[in-house]
Amino acid sequence: MPLALRELQAAFAVHVVGGERADLAGAVMGDSMSADARLRIYRHHVAYSLGSALAATFGTVHVLVGEAFLRRLVQSFIGQGLPVQPVLTEYGADFPAFVAGYEPAASLPYLADIARLDWALNVAFHSPAGRRLAAADLAAIAPERLPSLSLAVPEGATLIGSRYPLDRIWNASQPGAPADTVDLGQGRADLLVLRRSGDAAFIVLAVGEAAFVAALIDGKSLEGAAEQASHADPSFDLSTAFARLLSLEAFAALQQGAEGEG
Amino acid sequence: MRPAAGIGLRSPHLAEIGRDRPATGFLEIHAENHLGGSPARQAIERLRENYDFSVHAVGLSLGSVDGLDETHLGRVVELVKRLKPALVSDHLSWSVHGGRYFNDLLPLPYTEEALDVVVRNLDRLQEALGRQVSIENPSCYLGFAQSTLTEPEFLAELVRRSGCGLLLDLNNIVVTAHNLRLDPRDWLKALPGEAITEYHLAGHAVNDCDGEPILIDDHGSRVGDQVWALFGDALRRYGPRPTLVEWDTDIPALPVLLDEATRAERMIQQVRADAARAA
Repeated sequence: MPLALRELQAAFAVHVVGGERADLAGAVMGDSMSADARLRIYRHHVAYSLGSALAATFGTVHVLVGEAFLRRLVQSFIGQGLPVQPVLTEYGADFPAFVAGYEPAASLPYLADIARLDWALNVAFHSPAGRRLAAADLAAIAPERLPSLSLAVPEGATLIGSRYPLDRIWNASQPGAPADTVDLGQGRADLLVLRRSGDAAFIVLAVGEAAFVAALIDGKSLEGAAEQASHADPSFDLSTAFARLLSLEAFAALQQGAEGEG
Repeated sequence: MRPAAGIGLRSPHLAEIGRDRPATGFLEIHAENHLGGSPARQAIERLRENYDFSVHAVGLSLGSVDGLDETHLGRVVELVKRLKPALVSDHLSWSVHGGRYFNDLLPLPYTEEALDVVVRNLDRLQEALGRQVSIENPSCYLGFAQSTLTEPEFLAELVRRSGCGLLLDLNNIVVTAHNLRLDPRDWLKALPGEAITEYHLAGHAVNDCDGEPILIDDHGSRVGDQVWALFGDALRRYGPRPTLVEWDTDIPALPVLLDEATRAERMIQQVRADAARAA
């Protein structure tokens, strides 16, 4: 009795991720090349192609751990969760958390944060560029309204805080970077990852700036965010920080009518 | 779209094509690579001024017994409505089961049951797009004992029942025929030729499997001699169509890819000249 299509696809789905379905080989025509050998081609391709997609998305992790280690790491990850849709640049949101718990990578404590950075760059790259807030936009707003203004980061932007100097590790991993070692004791890094016109990039933020951006992302007004930033860093200066972030196009343009809202 | 030779547009070549706008018949993109808002998507929208486009999907999973993923379908529809490509296509295969995506063109048994499933999914796709979609013959590494139709018979029946077009991949015919011990020329004979909307050409690898050579559809080299020969047969039998050269792994410098397309273009011109002389 041949397998119904639903059963056949269910069996194939088990097989390609490494499971055993004895009834599947019986459904496949073998000759001098066995049914099992033919089935293995599909299993190998699924693992290899998904692994290659993850290697491309997490390019810095790839450079840091090398090809052989990365292949083992991504195969373990794929075993825990296949993509749920076919856009492979959107596969791997859970990978940084997986890396954090991956025992063989325990000697690289910054690796999960680098995976978060790779993911954030990937998300920013695939987000629409969108219009950014410019100084001229603010000129149209009555000065007394500015403290209560809410600002958003651009679509696809991510704020990443790490105990490790992620920016230096990332820079040292780029093609052609000098073979300098990075001192992990150089301390924390706060990065705002953004879509740029032709790519994605990150801005290195001072502690106060990071607290300021985090508060804005949380929905605080400019005034509330500045207060939070001063808590984090008493030397925080709103006008300096704001001018710098504005010049780096770190905010999305105001939504229509937002400037009129209290 | 005129029956000329074009190339698959891949990200390593995007900047060069955007700058130099080299002459080629058309550009084909993989739908799933351009559903977001990346700079590549913007660059492609700009290239529409200079090139005809073909949108080739790899993840609609037309053979899935579960039906289509409506969210993904909606994104592909949005892309197609935006780019207004001359051709839209996907494969005779499945890649989704139980909400999980395998990123492979998995094989179908060629049965009445599978035919019903593919026709149902194709109807949904063509309805959502409001246009004809072409279906590509896949590379196969196995056959199912329960199949009651050959692959060309299955494709011909799909055309009859759904009104779809056929994207004839000559490399996939060579790969499948070798791996399943078929004659590629026999395979090519029995198609509804008027339904063919496009040809695909690509390179394949030869790997070892159980001590025997197996052909792997890796799109990682120049088009092989056997594929060129079969392309010539297809041109003479069915006539010129838009013809794509695909290269997806170990992607070469753009001139190499364009050179392959030029060879395809010369064959198209030759067949056209021969037909004109014979008429």
